[in-house]
Amino acid sequence: MGTPCHFALFDLQPGFNLDLDLLATRYRELARSVHPDRFADAPEAEQRVALERSATLNDAYQTLKNAPKRARYLLALKGEVPLEVTVQDPEFLMQQMQWREELEDLQDEADLAGVAVFKRRLKAAQEELNESFAACWDDAAQREQAERLMRRMQFLDKLSYEVRQLEERLDD
Amino acid sequence: MAYSEKVIDHYENPRNVGKMNAEDPDVGTGMVGAPACGDVMRLQIKVNEQGIIEDAKFKTYGCGSAIASSSLATEWMKGKTLDEAETIKNTQLAEELALPPVKIHCSVLAEDAIKAAVRDYKQKKGLL
Repeated sequence: MGTPCHFALFDLQPGFNLDLDLLATRYRELARSVHPDRFADAPEAEQRVALERSATLNDAYQTLKNAPKRARYLLALKGEVPLEVTVQDPEFLMQQMQWREELEDLQDEADLAGVAVFKRRLKAAQEELNESFAACWDDAAQREQAERLMRRMQFLDKLSYEVRQLEERLDD
Repeated sequence: MAYSEKVIDHYENPRNVGKMNAEDPDVGTGMVGAPACGDVMRLQIKVNEQGIIEDAKFKTYGCGSAIASSSLATEWMKGKTLDEAETIKNTQLAEELALPPVKIHCSVLAEDAIKAAVRDYKQKKGLL
């Protein structure tokens, strides 16, 4: 491999369960060492290298700190993951549809307390998914299941983004 | 990125938004999702005894292009036979809505929803 994997960049073992605080600490340390300001007086070539390293580092950090992105990255290390696929996971999607509808009602009613309850349930669902994924991603025989779980994580990630947006709107 | 007038029209005045009883033997339900953008789409058809789609409803949580694609899909499906509906292509939806290349996947999702709804109906009727 030409480029070191994202985990190696932070001197971490590839895995799904990651110490996110440690990741953040290492990221900050490394980011400082390649910060463009430090190379303001350096030759142009060095500046360019620092800029590239800074971009790589940032990309790696953004990938690892987000659960679905980290999950996808781990799966990609082991084999190609199709990028854009339509999911037909009826029960899960049915539930997603229901949750979106609930969120819409919470928005119409400007129900902040309801949003808090919703958020807790969403977080519990995310944790459950994370656990299931952590238990199977490394097993080639369960690859299909791992991919399905990773895609479910993506939906929940989007949903939690929507919840944050809604909270901001209701706060105004 | 600017949406085309047609997308905005469908987004602001979506046709056929709603829900049918998924347990109804004459109703086919397609549930599809696009994990990369988190879009979720439900498309339902009601088929009469002559095998004609007499009504279609959808609900989409997603971007304007996804909503417009599914809205247009329900419009096009009404009055068609199942076989005709299945020939609706994402490229036709994308062309009609003038979707930019980065939004083509929204029309793909709508085509997949059409197919899923037709398949669900056929399965219910033992036609598969």
